[in-house]
Amino acid sequence: MSTKLATHSQGLFRKYFLLLVALVSGVWIPLSAINIYSLFEANKQALLHLQMKEALNAATKIEHFITEVERQIQLIMDVEPGVGSDELSTEFYRLLRQAPAITEVIYIDFSGRERVRVSRLDLDVAGTQRDLSGDPIFIYAKSRGTYFSPVYFRDESEPYMTIAMAGSSAESGVAIAHLNLKFIWEVISRMKIGKAGYAYVLDSNSTLIAHPNISMVLRYTNFTLLPQVRQAQANRTRPIQGETATVAEDLAGRQVLTAYTTVAPLGWLVFAELPVDEAYAPLYVEVKRLALLLLAGLVLAPLGGLFLARKMMVPIRALKAGAARIGSGDLGQPISIKTGDEFEALADQFNNMAGQLQQSRADLEKTVETRTRELAQSVDELRALGEVSQAINSTLDLETVLTTIVAKAVQLSGTDAGTIYTFDELRQEFRLRATHGMHEVMIAAVRDQRVRAGETAIGKAAAERAPVQIPDVLKESSLVLDVVVRAGYRAVLVVPLLRPDQVIGALVVQRKQAGEFPKSTVDLLETFAAQSVFAIQNASLFSEIEEKSQQLAIASEHKSHFLANMSHELRTPLNAILGFSELIMDGMLGEVPAKLQEAHKRIHSNGMHLLGLINDVLDLSKIEAGQLTLSLEDYSIAQVVHTVLTAVESLADEKKLALKSALPPDLPKARGDERRMVQVLLNLVGNAIKFTEAGEVVVTATAANGSFTIGVSDTGPGIPEADQIKIFEEFQQAASSSKGAKGGTGLGLSIAKRIVEMHGGRIWLDSSSGHGSTFSMTLPLIVEKQKIRA
Amino acid sequence: MSKRILVVEDHEDNRQILRILLAGAGFDMLEAWDGEAALTTAASERPDLILMDIQLPGLTGYEVTRRLKADPLLRAIPIIAVTSYALSGDEGKATEAGCDAYVTKPYRPRQLLAKIKEFLP
Repeated sequence: MSTKLATHSQGLFRKYFLLLVALVSGVWIPLSAINIYSLFEANKQALLHLQMKEALNAATKIEHFITEVERQIQLIMDVEPGVGSDELSTEFYRLLRQAPAITEVIYIDFSGRERVRVSRLDLDVAGTQRDLSGDPIFIYAKSRGTYFSPVYFRDESEPYMTIAMAGSSAESGVAIAHLNLKFIWEVISRMKIGKAGYAYVLDSNSTLIAHPNISMVLRYTNFTLLPQVRQAQANRTRPIQGETATVAEDLAGRQVLTAYTTVAPLGWLVFAELPVDEAYAPLYVEVKRLALLLLAGLVLAPLGGLFLARKMMVPIRALKAGAARIGSGDLGQPISIKTGDEFEALADQFNNMAGQLQQSRADLEKTVETRTRELAQSVDELRALGEVSQAINSTLDLETVLTTIVAKAVQLSGTDAGTIYTFDELRQEFRLRATHGMHEVMIAAVRDQRVRAGETAIGKAAAERAPVQIPDVLKESSLVLDVVVRAGYRAVLVVPLLRPDQVIGALVVQRKQAGEFPKSTVDLLETFAAQSVFAIQNASLFSEIEEKSQQLAIASEHKSHFLANMSHELRTPLNAILGFSELIMDGMLGEVPAKLQEAHKRIHSNGMHLLGLINDVLDLSKIEAGQLTLSLEDYSIAQVVHTVLTAVESLADEKKLALKSALPPDLPKARGDERRMVQVLLNLVGNAIKFTEAGEVVVTATAANGSFTIGVSDTGPGIPEADQIKIFEEFQQAASSSKGAKGGTGLGLSIAKRIVEMHGGRIWLDSSSGHGSTFSMTLPLIVEKQKIRA
Repeated sequence: MSKRILVVEDHEDNRQILRILLAGAGFDMLEAWDGEAALTTAASERPDLILMDIQLPGLTGYEVTRRLKADPLLRAIPIIAVTSYALSGDEGKATEAGCDAYVTKPYRPRQLLAKIKEFLP
């Protein structure tokens, strides 16, 4: 269980960890990336803007410088036509003093003659009077206005340029000034852009004229290789619109932010550049900071997950332990969780549930206890009733049964003693029959005191046919015998023993404690009273039955004896009659006169008939006594038919009846009581001959499906339908058909039917008045066991 | 010398019938009225066959038969039981007692004679 929980807690930890990582990486990283990107963009824009400003600033300064020089020359040239060379020289000297960048000024009059030359290097050089009318600079200035020469170097180290301008009138000459551009160097080299930023200037020929690194200027470093420069050259003539700043590479291949502007009158380009590294340095710092924070977040995520998981596990463990306690039935110990959140609510719910469980369990236990008690009482009562029933069934001794009943009644009603009285109809008084829990002295006393009908509570209960109880004998002493009160009994309950038409006794219980008997006790005692009635009734019935069956057994014995004796006593003289008769007939006693022969025959045949009657009566009595048993053996059906036909042949002959038989040659062997089968068939054929006056008697036999059928048909008067059923009953000879003495007991068919049924077969009759009769019987071929008792 | 048959029978008329029947058939007939006499006569006379009525005063025919069959000297004498009981099982009882044959009363004289001749041809 603990391993499982541990696994679960790892699951919880992983869940929280992944959630925190997802929060950090999924939300924080994109947010930071966006932040950095916008910061980067803003920073770049700001820097580029700054670059532009610096470049513009430098350009403005240069432009201002050139314009100033131009203006001062212009001032002189405006007055030039009216002044002489000396005055011009003075003006020019003043110009040299005022504008330190101008190193030399030359004045050429309008005819092209050099009139004045003032130089810082060669002082007081008067005009050489050289004809410079063909000089392209002169021509340019005269015809097209102010001329700015490309930058050139003197002494291979200093950049110079030449400005030429004509006066405003037609007679004006041209002033040519050489300008040292070191000033521009200073401007450029002094320019500070960030820490490593710098500016440089390219003239209209894209020659580098200013750069913080002078050597690059002096070496004529070619900047036109740079794409930003080429782009600026292409755009030189067009006015600059918006920002020109971009990210590019400098000559050293470093990434730089670059911006440029033009110095309008000169067509120069001023570039300001700042290495990207420096421009983006704050961005890198920011990125590094964010990366650190991210790392910190990632490190904190598992810790946070672990922390949260642990924080969750503590109440969950407490809940689990509590639930397990509840599960194991320990409801008394509440779950203690003080987290102030849902866990605590859940724990409260658990505790509530446990409380309710405890309550309902207590209720249930109480109910079970009550039910068990009731059940135990019921079981006791049932057991007692069972024992009473058993006593009733196992013994016919009424005293024993009643003693059992009164003992159980006392025991189950929680009383101290009990008695059962029976009512003597003759004497009209109650007599003590059984007691329980009573002292012998008291028994004797009670036995002596006859309770007459109508006396005491017993008499009252009998009269009312309802239980009577006396909660306190001291208050109703008239209803109780004195001995009862003297023996210390205080409460008495009397339940009458009732039959529908009479009161046959009373069941009484006594208690030494006064008080009402509850209804359940009264009901219980009524049950015992009913049992007592049952027992008393049973006992009398049993004794009656016993008496009757004893008489019956004796009578039966007498009958059997009588029959056996009769049989013998009848046969013995009959034997003599028939014996002598046959001796006479056989001529063993001499010749018999013809006259006597007929009479003799009658004597003999009547003797034989009498013998048949005796045999029938004997058979029937044996059947009724269950003494007739089949002796089963193999026999031939054909032989049985043959035996019978032989026996009756003479009878048929006498009546001139045709006696026929129809038997298949393959009639199988049968198993049964051959002698009895002969008896049955003899009876049927004998009857047929007896009742048929003319015609024939036919015996048929067939066998199929394990049974055989023998039929005996005659051409006699037939048997009316009304008699057909009765004919197999004892002593029923078809009364209507017998026109007097046909002889016979009427037992033959009844016996035949019994014998056939004992073989498991059946016998029946097909007949109608005037059309003869056919008796048929079907029996199993093989009878291994007698089917029914006789 | 003619064969001798002991007839155990308590009824005079029946004895008379047998006297006529057996004399006619050429047998000598000895008579006994009850079981005791039957035992005595059988022992003293050693008949060739005994016709034994079962229903006798005193000892029954079965008992007499049992005693005769228990006597090594008399055991060989065939005994034909003559009974007026027709209860099933009588034949069994007769066989059990040691009777050699069984005839029910009333018997037809010729029938009885035929049975006797089975033993005394």
